[in-house]
Amino acid sequence: MVMVMIVVVVIVRHAGLRFALVYSMSFAYFTALADRIDRLNTAIGRAAAWCALAIVLLGFAVVLLRYVLGVGSIWLQESILYAHAALFLLAAAWTLKEGGHVRVDVFYAHAAPRTKAWIDLFGALFLLLPFALAIAWFSLPYVERSWAILERSRETSGLPLVFLLKTLIPAFALLLALQGVAQIIRAVGRLVPPPLAGEGAEDRRSEAGGG
Amino acid sequence: MPLPELLAVLMVVAVCGLLFAGYPVALTLGGVSLAFAALGHITGAMDIGLIYALPQRIFGVMTNTVLLAIPLFIFMGVMLERSRIAEDLLETMGRLFGALPGGLGISVVLVGVLLAAAKGVVGATVVTIALITLPTMLRHGYDKRLAAGTVAATATLAQILPPATVLVLLGDQLNNSFQAAQLAKGIFAPESVSVSDLFAGALVPGLTLVALYLLFLAAVALLRPSAVPPIPPDPAAPHGFALVAQVAGAMVAPVLLIVVVLGSILIGLATPTEAAAVGAVGAILLAALRIKGAARWPAYSGVVGFLALIALRATIPQTLLMALMLAVAGGLVFAVHQVWRAGYLAPTVTKTTQMTSMIFAILIGATLFSLVFRGLGGDDMVHRALANLPGGAAGAILAVMLAMFLLGFVMDAFEIIFVVIPIVAPPLLAMPGVDPIWLGIMMAVNLQTSYMHPPLGPTLFFLRGVAPPEITTRHIYVGIIPFVLIQLFALVVLWFVPGLATWLPRMLYGG
Repeated sequence: MVMVMIVVVVIVRHAGLRFALVYSMSFAYFTALADRIDRLNTAIGRAAAWCALAIVLLGFAVVLLRYVLGVGSIWLQESILYAHAALFLLAAAWTLKEGGHVRVDVFYAHAAPRTKAWIDLFGALFLLLPFALAIAWFSLPYVERSWAILERSRETSGLPLVFLLKTLIPAFALLLALQGVAQIIRAVGRLVPPPLAGEGAEDRRSEAGGG
Repeated sequence: MPLPELLAVLMVVAVCGLLFAGYPVALTLGGVSLAFAALGHITGAMDIGLIYALPQRIFGVMTNTVLLAIPLFIFMGVMLERSRIAEDLLETMGRLFGALPGGLGISVVLVGVLLAAAKGVVGATVVTIALITLPTMLRHGYDKRLAAGTVAATATLAQILPPATVLVLLGDQLNNSFQAAQLAKGIFAPESVSVSDLFAGALVPGLTLVALYLLFLAAVALLRPSAVPPIPPDPAAPHGFALVAQVAGAMVAPVLLIVVVLGSILIGLATPTEAAAVGAVGAILLAALRIKGAARWPAYSGVVGFLALIALRATIPQTLLMALMLAVAGGLVFAVHQVWRAGYLAPTVTKTTQMTSMIFAILIGATLFSLVFRGLGGDDMVHRALANLPGGAAGAILAVMLAMFLLGFVMDAFEIIFVVIPIVAPPLLAMPGVDPIWLGIMMAVNLQTSYMHPPLGPTLFFLRGVAPPEITTRHIYVGIIPFVLIQLFALVVLWFVPGLATWLPRMLYGG
C-alpha cells in the first residue's frame, strides 16, 4: 500500500491532469482509510483509558482487604495487572495519534510543516513500521504457545487468562503499525496535496498559512 | 575494534543522532535497534534469535507490580492539578508570606515542592508552576531573571522529591542491575534495593536542596530587596485569624494526603504501589470536596471511614468493620460520580493513560535497545572501558555522571534511566564500595541539574514555551545560574558525604 502511494506520488509529479485525477481519487480513498484508523484507535484508547480508574479503585480495594481484613486476593491483584497492561499497550497507538509520545523537539518544534511531514513519513516508514511489525512477528510463537495450552496463572487462585494477557503484545504492535499507516497517509497528504479540490483543500490552506 | 562492538558503538551514535530529528523517542529507539539487529544478523555479528526474548521481556514489564505505582502516582497528580488545589494553595500561601520581601518567591518554592511531591513529571510541573506563579511575581515587580530561575529550578526539583515517577523507575532499574552485579560476583542470595529505599534516600538531599533554594531567596531579600518586593496587602482579603484559617483550610488536606502517602511508604507500612492507590483515591475525595454545590458527605464518609478503619481495625467487632467498609466504598462511589459530573475525571484518566503509555512505550523501545546492545557485546565493552579508567570506582562513576549529564540535554530522564542504567549500573555496582542507593540519588540529582543547565536544559525550553513574552531567553538563562550553582554544590557535597543519601534508608530499614 505504501509502495502504491509512493508510485502514485511519483507519477503525479510528472504527469498531467489525468494522473492528477487518479491521485486525487486515490487520495480521498487513503484519507478515508486514515480517518478510519484514527477512529478505531481513538475508540480503543478511550476505552482503555478507563482502566486507569479501575486500577485506582481495585488498588484501593486491595489495600483495604490487606490492611483491614488481613486477606490478600491474588485474583484481585492480577486483575489490576491486567488493567495496567491493557492501559499502556492498547492506548499506545491512540497516544501516538494525539501526539503524546515524547519527542526530542529541539529542532522539530521549530521545523516547517513540510519538514515535520518528512520526518513523520520517514519515521513511520523506517522506524515505527519495522519495530511494530517485528514485535508482532517475534511475539506470535510466544503467544501461540500460550494459546495452545490456554495458559493460566501460576497461582492456583489466579486468573486463568494469561493467554489473553499475552495477546495484548501483538495487539499493541498491530494497532501501532496501523496508526503508522495513518501517519504515512497524512504526511504524504501534507507533502503532496491533491491537485483537485476535495478533502485535501483544507490541508493545503493550513500549510500555506503555516509556511 | 571487532565488528560487533563497532556496530554497538554505531548504534548508540545512530540513536543519539536520529533522536534529534524529532520522531517519537520510543519508536526511534526501537526502530534503530531493530535495524542494527538486522545488520548484526547479516554480518554474522549477532544472533537474531536473541530478539525472541523480547516478548518475554515485555511480559515482564506487564506483570511488574512495582511499575504499577506509575499510573497511580500520575493519576493522583493530575487529579490534584485538575481540581485546582495547587492554585489555591499558592494564592493563600502568597497572601500569608507575601507581606515579607521575598515572601512570594518563598511560597513559590514551597508550593512547588508540594506540587512536585504530587507529580514528578518535569514538563508538566514547570508548565503548571509557571502558569500559576510567573504572572503574579511579575505583576508585583519581581526581578524577571529571579522569577524565571525560581520557577525553573523549583519545577525541576519535582524530579527527585519522592514520590517522583523518576525515582520509581530508577529504583526498579537499579534493583535489576544490583542483582545482576551480585550474581556476577557469585553471590547467589543477592540483596535488593527497593523503591522505598530510593524514596528515603532522596528525602534528605531533596529537602537540603529546598533549604538551599530558600536560603538563596532570603539572601536576595536581604541584599537586594528591590528584586523581591513585598506584596502590598489587599484590604479586601481576609487577614489576621481569618487569613490563617483560610491558609490552613487550603493547605491541610493536600499536605495531609502527601504526608500520609509518603509516610506510609517511608515507615514501611505500605509498598509504594499501595500508598499510591491510597493517594489516588485521596485525590478523588479532595477533588470532590471542592466541587461547588456538591454534597460533602461522600468525601467525608470516605475519608473518615478510611481513617477509622486503619486506626480501629484491630479493636472493633467484625460487623462494625463491615459497616465502615461500606461507608468508605459508598462514599468513594459517590465521590467518583461527583468528580465525573464536574468534568475532572475524564481528562484525568485521559492524561494518566497517555503519560503512562508514553513512559512504557519508551521502556519497550529501550528493552529492545538493551537486548541488541548486549547481543553485540556492548555491555562487555562498557564494562572493560569503565574498569580501565584511572581512579578505579571513583573515576568510573565520574565518567558515567558526566555522560549522563550530557545526555540529559537531549533525552528525558525516562530514556536515560531505561537505556543507560541497564548498561552502566551492573559494572559500577560490582565495584567495591559503591552503594546502590547513593549511586541512584547521585544520578537523580545529576539528571535534575542537567535538566536546568543552560543552554540545552529541557526545563528551560518548557518554561520558554509558557512564559509571558516580557521574559526573554536571556532572563531565563541568567536567572537559572544561581540555582545551577546550588545544584553543583549539592552534588559535590553528596559525593563526599554519601551519608546524606544512605543515612535515612539505613535508619528506617536497617542494613
